[in-house]
Amino acid sequence: MEVRVGVDLVHVPRLRRLLTEQPAIGGQLFTAGELRACADRRNTVSRLSARFAAKEAVLKALGTGLGPRMRWLDVEIVNEPWGRPVVRLHGEVAAAGARRGARTVDVSLSHTADFALAHAVVVMSGEPGPEEEG
Amino acid sequence: MTVAKDEVFEAVRAALVDALGVEEEDVVAEATLLGDLEAESIDLLDILFRLERSLGVKISAADLGEHVQGGISEEDFGTAEGVVSDVGLAQLATVMPQIDVEALRGKLPAEGVMGLFTVDNLVDLVLARVTSPAAV
Repeated sequence: MEVRVGVDLVHVPRLRRLLTEQPAIGGQLFTAGELRACADRRNTVSRLSARFAAKEAVLKALGTGLGPRMRWLDVEIVNEPWGRPVVRLHGEVAAAGARRGARTVDVSLSHTADFALAHAVVVMSGEPGPEEEG
Repeated sequence: MTVAKDEVFEAVRAALVDALGVEEEDVVAEATLLGDLEAESIDLLDILFRLERSLGVKISAADLGEHVQGGISEEDFGTAEGVVSDVGLAQLATVMPQIDVEALRGKLPAEGVMGLFTVDNLVDLVLARVTSPAAV
C-alpha cells in the first residue's frame, strides 16, 4: 500500500475575477451540484475556490494533472450532511485512478476571504483496480 | 481560412497579458507558460477562454494535454517510474520542437512536461486550430 498526497492553494480574488469576466467557465469547472452547494452563500466564491483547490490537489495526488480527455468535472466534491467533503471521481479521472490502483481518495478544505486550501490523500493499493466511479 | 502566424501571436500575447498581468515584452516566443510567465491551471483556462473570444477557436484545457501527448496511451508515453519514455519524447519533439530530446532522455518526469510548453507552442496549436478546426 502506498499513500500519496497533493495540496493546492487558490487565490480567491483570481477565481472571482475569472467567474465575473467569463461566467460560462463556471460550468466547465464545477458540477451543477457543486454550484448549487455553494450558491447563495456569503462566501460563495471562497467555497468554490476551495473546491477548485480540491480538484487540483486530487489530480496532483493521483499524479496525473489534468491529462488528456480529463475534465474538471471529473473530480467532484460533495458534502456529507454534516459538512465533511467527499470526493467522487468520474470519467477519465476515475479511469486513470483505477489504472494506478487508487483505492481511497480523501480531501480536506479550508478557506478565508482571500485564500482557499485543499489537501488530498490517495491510498494506492499498488494493483490496478476496476475502472469504476466512486 | 488563412491566418498569419503573427496575427495569432498577437492574439495569444494579448490573452496572456490580460490573463496573467504580465508585460507585453515578457511574452516572447520562447517563454514557457508555467515557468517564465508563472501561469497556473486556472490561468490557462482564462487564456483559452480569451482566445476563444478573440479568434473564435475553442480549445479546452484537456485539449492541451491531448495535443502534447498526441493520442499516445499513458502507458506508452511514460515509464512505470513516471519518466517520459522514448516514444513520449519523440511525440513531444513534434509539438515542442525546441526541446533537446537527448538531454531529456530518461530524465523528464511526466509532471514536468507542460513546464516545457512555450508561447510559440501555444501559437502553433492555436494556428492549427484556426486553419483546421478539427486538428488537435
